[in-house]
Amino acid sequence: MWRPCGTFDENYRKDVAIIRTPLRWGLLVAALVGLFLVPYVCSYYVVSFLNTLSITVIVVLGLQMVTGFCGQVSFGQAAFMAVGAYASAVFCANFGLSFWVAVPLSGFFTGIYGLVGGAPSMRIKGFYLAVATIAIHFVTMWLVLHLEITGKSQGIIVEPPRIGSFVFDTDERMFYIIVPLMLLMTYGARNLARTRVGRAFVAVRDNDLAAQVMGINLYYYKLLAFFISCFYAGVAGALWAHLTRVCHPEQFSLLHALWYIGMLIVGGIGSIPGVFFGVIVIRVLDELVLLVSPFLSSWFPWLGSAPAAGLGLSAFGVVLAVFLIKEPRGLAHRWEIIKASMRLYPFAH
Amino acid sequence: MNELTTLLLLGLMEGGLYAMVAAAIVLVYKSTRVVSLAHGQLMAFGALAFWFLLVKSGLPFIAALVLGLACSAAFGWVVERLYMRPLIGQPLFAAFLATFAVFLTLDGIFQLILKGESKSFSQFLPSGTASIYGVQLPITQLVSFGVCILLFAGLALFYRFTKIGLGMRATAEDHQLAQSSGVTVRFIFSAIWVLSAMVAGVAGIALANVTDIYYPLPYMGIKGLIVALVGGLDSLPGALLAGLLLGTLENISAGYLDPVVGGGVKEVAPYVLLLFVLLVKPYGLLGLVRIERI
Repeated sequence: MWRPCGTFDENYRKDVAIIRTPLRWGLLVAALVGLFLVPYVCSYYVVSFLNTLSITVIVVLGLQMVTGFCGQVSFGQAAFMAVGAYASAVFCANFGLSFWVAVPLSGFFTGIYGLVGGAPSMRIKGFYLAVATIAIHFVTMWLVLHLEITGKSQGIIVEPPRIGSFVFDTDERMFYIIVPLMLLMTYGARNLARTRVGRAFVAVRDNDLAAQVMGINLYYYKLLAFFISCFYAGVAGALWAHLTRVCHPEQFSLLHALWYIGMLIVGGIGSIPGVFFGVIVIRVLDELVLLVSPFLSSWFPWLGSAPAAGLGLSAFGVVLAVFLIKEPRGLAHRWEIIKASMRLYPFAH
Repeated sequence: MNELTTLLLLGLMEGGLYAMVAAAIVLVYKSTRVVSLAHGQLMAFGALAFWFLLVKSGLPFIAALVLGLACSAAFGWVVERLYMRPLIGQPLFAAFLATFAVFLTLDGIFQLILKGESKSFSQFLPSGTASIYGVQLPITQLVSFGVCILLFAGLALFYRFTKIGLGMRATAEDHQLAQSSGVTVRFIFSAIWVLSAMVAGVAGIALANVTDIYYPLPYMGIKGLIVALVGGLDSLPGALLAGLLLGTLENISAGYLDPVVGGGVKEVAPYVLLLFVLLVKPYGLLGLVRIERI
């Protein structure tokens, strides 16, 4: 790894550290305190935006594991999220478990379900696998719509989480559950990327046959990648269910899965900071379109009265295409370039 | 027995429509190795252009058809120039994702144009039904099926006897070898997208004639992709076979299983078939099995 001059690693712990310098520790603590104060300082709009942002980050982190690190493209992330959401709702409503048990349990349940979803990856890869995951999405959503336990097309009402008599029933209160969990899961993903498992994932992505020759058990690691990714999706889905307090099949359409893939591309495939860049840029773009579309529809009446959905999709498609053609390694790569040039500032190189 | 024949024939008619969409996807994959998600939109926009010319502008049928297909061809050409050509030499997966970006952009525009309504053609085909083996079939469906058979025959002749078709087959074998034997691969790429967009346009018109132009129409492209995968991504006969198979399977399973599980089997049957076929034959029914090297 490239370091500015004067920075040396004196032992192994320092070499593999995620946070290297005292300055960075200071910034991290300051950022955490700032984040803790957000619900006191900012408006309801900002808090609920941050909540959905954090949940999306968790989903896309899972996608980064399976697609970015392990190279198995999955269009099934929205369906896996639905599995997590419904699992948590059913655990709470039918089995009487508390939120704190139901969320990790629904994560594991989704992970096990994801092993079924990932099973085709033993035989097929590339485009074939991508389309197979689309098929898994539709089969899953069909099951959700037709099973008795998921409430069919009516959906399920979900109770908000509580500790004792304290009920997490507003966005400001849920913020203190969602954001710490998001940070924890980010740390988990970042840590996994530098372990044996993470390196095995990257080897499978870069050339699966070569990885197998080197002694990596392909099926084990591919299925593990699906398990981890679905665990993330399941936890995110459960949080989503408890935040909106309703589970409905329309919250988990194929279009959502496509958005997650798009966020991955814009942010940068195979990079944890990239997840944040991608999610933030695409979500902010979406909000901007929502803000601008009333003006657009008053200036151009032929757009109709509610152009936001269509305009948002089109803008997203254009941004995606520009990134694919001009910056295929995503914003994370651009960020590295900016950091390097800041270090060297007065000099060209 | 009569119920089975009805389901079988209706399924065949529907399968013909799927096969046409799949043919467009197979054409692109064969020569450029890009799997396209954009064809659902090319299809929808071909149908929309035809609708605009026929119903809105009131052109005669033949003129609307020719101009509509010209519009489809232009769409295909624009997609190739704007999205595919800058990505030549990049990983194929980037091109796949670029077609996905095309899908999203056009999906937004499609929503803006439709505004939640559906557009129907003013019956340019004679309405009514014809009787085959005692089964009453709508004439529109029969004509669509005829168009499908003609289209596949036309593609077979085109690949066999024209210079461009030969070039496309050479490009499908190997890009560099084709280039070195005098085929202009870049021109072939453009031509293939134009041809494929026109095939998608025909499919879109035939499909919209049965179902009207409505919002989920572009998502029929995903069904086309599934047919293409079941048949084998690089096989045109495979697309026809898989299309007919899928159409009949869908209708028969819906006809017999719907009363048992309570509806909706038709939406999920193709995906179950796909997962099953991919587990048994990963390269599809008639697809070319490739040997991988490190």
